[in-house]
Amino acid sequence: MSGRQETPEVSGYARSHVAISAVVGILVAGLSVWWAQGFDIFYESLYRVSPTVEGGGIGADWVFGNTIPSLDFLIALVHAADVLMGAFILVMVFLHWAAFRRLADRMRQPGEERGEAVAADGGEQR
Amino acid sequence: MSNLDHGKFTRVTTLFHSLLGLDVFLLFFTGYAIMFNDELWWLLAVMGGASGVTAIHRITGIGLIALIVFWIVLQIISPTGRGNFSEILPGKDDFDAFVQDVQFMLGRADERHPNARQFAGYKADEVPLLSYIGKGVVFIFSIELTLLAISGLLIWSKTGLAAMFQTKAAAMAFVTFHGLLGVIMLMGVMFHVFEHGFHPAFYPVETKAFIPRSMVPEYHSDEDEEPDTTGIERLSLSPSWRTMSSIFGALTVIGIVSVLIGSIFDEGYPVPRELAIGGGPTSILLTIGINVGILVLGVGLVLSMYGNVLRIRWERQMEEEREGPAATDGGREEPSDD
Ligand code: HEM
Ligand code: HEM
Repeated sequence: MSGRQETPEVSGYARSHVAISAVVGILVAGLSVWWAQGFDIFYESLYRVSPTVEGGGIGADWVFGNTIPSLDFLIALVHAADVLMGAFILVMVFLHWAAFRRLADRMRQPGEERGEAVAADGGEQR
Repeated sequence: MSNLDHGKFTRVTTLFHSLLGLDVFLLFFTGYAIMFNDELWWLLAVMGGASGVTAIHRITGIGLIALIVFWIVLQIISPTGRGNFSEILPGKDDFDAFVQDVQFMLGRADERHPNARQFAGYKADEVPLLSYIGKGVVFIFSIELTLLAISGLLIWSKTGLAAMFQTKAAAMAFVTFHGLLGVIMLMGVMFHVFEHGFHPAFYPVETKAFIPRSMVPEYHSDEDEEPDTTGIERLSLSPSWRTMSSIFGALTVIGIVSVLIGSIFDEGYPVPRELAIGGGPTSILLTIGINVGILVLGVGLVLSMYGNVLRIRWERQMEEEREGPAATDGGREEPSDD
């Protein structure tokens, strides 16, 4: 950052250039990892010994999965409840967030001085 | 320091709330370290690996049952508990409060409904024991915790579980079912932390749940006239509120959305098609999001502890004031242990 003349090649980068380089660097790093993620052949597909499901080989019951319909239904039901309640909770978050911002606007802003600031009523003084 | 609005929790309730919070946070951290082990591998490691996590989850599970039963019994046998019962039933006022909150958000109402008010100020007398959110929280958390305790007990013994369900897959499905039940609670507590940590008048923590009402001096105006504001405009906003509430609000939303998505796509039900050795994050965004959710809960845990620190400080201060001006000459007072 110093403007020393003997090393002109390491001084005087424009801020915008630094910023652009940083953004590009981070983007490329992020994208490359994202790209490399889709790169792999899933290792189990390579190495896994496949017992025949029809023959009821080891692990076949896992492949059949849960065969109890009522349990399937229960899980679907909880998923639905989770989604519904999740949406509702998000509405509540936004509702309160907005309300809090409105309330905050009514309060004395930081650093604001007002004549009648004597909080003899127990109001907060900072 | 925080402002004190009129406290409504009794001493026992504040203690119960803190213990319940601590216990449920531990259940969250261990339970979802199992379910979201792809995303929360570090949490699993911190909590003592696969065996440590299940051990802590089971111990705190027993603790939760003890707390629930304690509370139910207390509400039934004590006059205060029985007297409060009618206070938790939702009514028309609560629906109105919700509608008015929406209007308040849109700028069409000037004030929040008394049934929605966290900061009541001068108008404290009109505010009910529980806000409409509070009632919802009581109902949802009670139902959730009851179901979680029952399903948790059913999966307690692996051999018992195997006897109940013929196949391993079905047994695992039931364990998944138990975990999915807690997702509403998980999202709800994130909201709860935002609601009580980031109200501008109480930021960084609403002390109502930590400082018992017996310790808060009541203020009544001398005249009978109705004040027409809550007096919030006389309080000053903390300089960091805007930044912190925006950051935390965003984190809360990311956390809620991520655990919801994770619970649908990453629950490992019925059984992952390919057995993943060692797991490994499946999606970077989801991993970050779920970790954000855990961060939000972590902040909640810290705030809850901070609330208790404030209570202890407050107790000391009250103690000193009671000693009268004589003791304010610098003599130290040991807090009594009642
Ligand atoms: C807030 C309350 C609770 C939450 C959020 C919760 C959450 C969870 C989650 C997410 C799992 C992992 C499920 C999976 O593998 O997909 C789990 C497992 C389990 N939970 Fe809970 N739980 C709670 C309360 C309880 C209680 C009260 C008990 C017992 C009385 C209990 C007993 C168990 C047991 C035994 C397991 C299986 C652990 C193992 O694999 O050995 N949980 N819980
Ligand atoms: C898992 C953790 C927690 C559980 C299960 C829990 C549960 C509850 C319940 C059932 C209520 C009464 C209903 C209501 O008014 O909302 C309540 C109230 C409250 N909680 Fe929590 N809580 C937890 C964590 C926290 C944390 C971390 C904080 C602090 C940031 C907090 C602050 C409060 C406050 C201030 C109230 C009083 C609200 C009022 O009456 O106006 N809670 N909590």
